[in-house]
Amino acid sequence: MILQIKDLKKSFNGNEVLKGINFKIDKGEVVVIIGPSGSGKTTLLRNINFLESADSGIMKFQDEEINLVNPTKKEKLLVRRQTAMVFQNYNLFKNKTALENITEGLIFGQGIKKEQAVNLAEMALDKVGLLDKKDFYPSQLSGGQQQRIGIARATVLNPALVLFDEPTSALDPELVGTVLQDMKRLADEGQTMIVVTHQMSFAKNVATRVIFFDKGEIIEEGKPSEIFEHPQNIRTKEFLSVIAEDY
Amino acid sequence: MFDMKFAVSAFPQILTALKVTVYLSVIAVLIGTILAVLIVIIREKKIIVLNQIAAFLVSFIRGTPVIVQMYVVYYGLPQLLLILKSNGFDVNPNGLSALAIAITAYALNAMANLSESIKSAYHSVDYRQYEAAVSVGMTPFRAMIRIVIPQLIANLIPNYANFFIDLTKDTSLVYNIGIIEIMAKANIISSIGFKYLETYLDALIIYVVICWVFARIFRFSEVIVRKKVFQN
Ligand SMILES: Nc1ncnc2c1ncn2[C@@H]1O[C@H](COP(=O)(O)OP(=O)(O)OP(=O)(O)O)[C@@H](O)[C@H]1O
Ligand SMILES: [Mg+2]
Repeated sequence: MILQIKDLKKSFNGNEVLKGINFKIDKGEVVVIIGPSGSGKTTLLRNINFLESADSGIMKFQDEEINLVNPTKKEKLLVRRQTAMVFQNYNLFKNKTALENITEGLIFGQGIKKEQAVNLAEMALDKVGLLDKKDFYPSQLSGGQQQRIGIARATVLNPALVLFDEPTSALDPELVGTVLQDMKRLADEGQTMIVVTHQMSFAKNVATRVIFFDKGEIIEEGKPSEIFEHPQNIRTKEFLSVIAEDY
Repeated sequence: MFDMKFAVSAFPQILTALKVTVYLSVIAVLIGTILAVLIVIIREKKIIVLNQIAAFLVSFIRGTPVIVQMYVVYYGLPQLLLILKSNGFDVNPNGLSALAIAITAYALNAMANLSESIKSAYHSVDYRQYEAAVSVGMTPFRAMIRIVIPQLIANLIPNYANFFIDLTKDTSLVYNIGIIEIMAKANIISSIGFKYLETYLDALIIYVVICWVFARIFRFSEVIVRKKVFQN
């Protein structure tokens, strides 16, 4: 087991966005979370990375048991240094080049020597086919290129877990494919990941498990074939029928 | 009639006071910047009590003319020191030079105004940049130093430059407390020869040039910083 969440609750101004989430992910799993807008998917990922503090909940990460309400600085660093996040809006450091976007975390987050960090970063850029762009700033790159660098930044050290929050939804349609390919490659390499996405083809073809999330709760989960072909819950069925019209 | 010869001969004399103007502006803004950073930290961290005091002080100073502030410091600071002395502090209430008083007043003014500029430059940095930095394992402090503050500085320079130039022009008020800067020098020379337009035009030219020079310096550094920070 890589990560377990118990009874995670989170409200914003009295609006309960996460209503007691219980969740577990094992090594090598590719968990895809689907669900309507505003259902709390982003909030869940942000809580796992401590970008949001919970109202209740416990996280088991490797051997540590961490209180999600008031994690210590040490616990936050421990989890953040062994997990990574890919953001919807890419979130590359605007004041750093493509290469530096990867080395910053290695040098100043992980304490790796500069020379080695540059080597690792160049290999990671090469994997996503953007080594020739290493000295470009984010403002000089397309959305698709930025997101692939975001993925390279997240996966350079093969973290225990990578969190993807709608990594393709800000992209022009013709750029979505390359980013999904990079994600599929990672999945094939055995990278453990949680992916929030509206890309149903990715969920069907790459996920080892699909979670349907609605109104702050896990409504249903199972193998892609189970969820897409034989959904049990009425809300899942409704959501999938709407999605089918949209996509 | 306009006395060109007088204007020309007065110019170098007035120019000798330029160093006082520049010294006062630069020192006041430097001290003011350090204080402004403290104010911004207090206000952003919402440190209890201090936050309220800082907010009050800033809006108070920003809502009053600098010349009034200068007089308040001029008459108030020695009294404050007197109180401190009577409470056993080792201070000399009579040892304050007019320049020290002017620096104090202008530094406080810079503190209030620059704290607002720094605050808005900070808020114009996308908070998600910070989130990305901590999510790759940086400590909050590192994330600020490596990612947020460089972007903040690039955003800040234009406002900072404007304020610095405004303050330089406003130092023309300190002749009121007996400091011989450009304006005071022009006053003195004009009253000797009863030729006012000549000396004030000299002062005008000096202000135009010095403000232009400062504006160029800031513009140049903005280009360098933006190039370094954002590559644009
Ligand atoms: N910082 C915040 N303050 C107040 N409310 C928030 C905040 N963040 C999220 N919310 C609310 O929490 C709910 C869930 O938001 P969240 O972003 O997690 O949804 P989501 O499932 O990711 O939706 P989408 O598919 O549109 O990205 C929404 O109603 C949102 O308005
Ligand atoms: Mg979301």
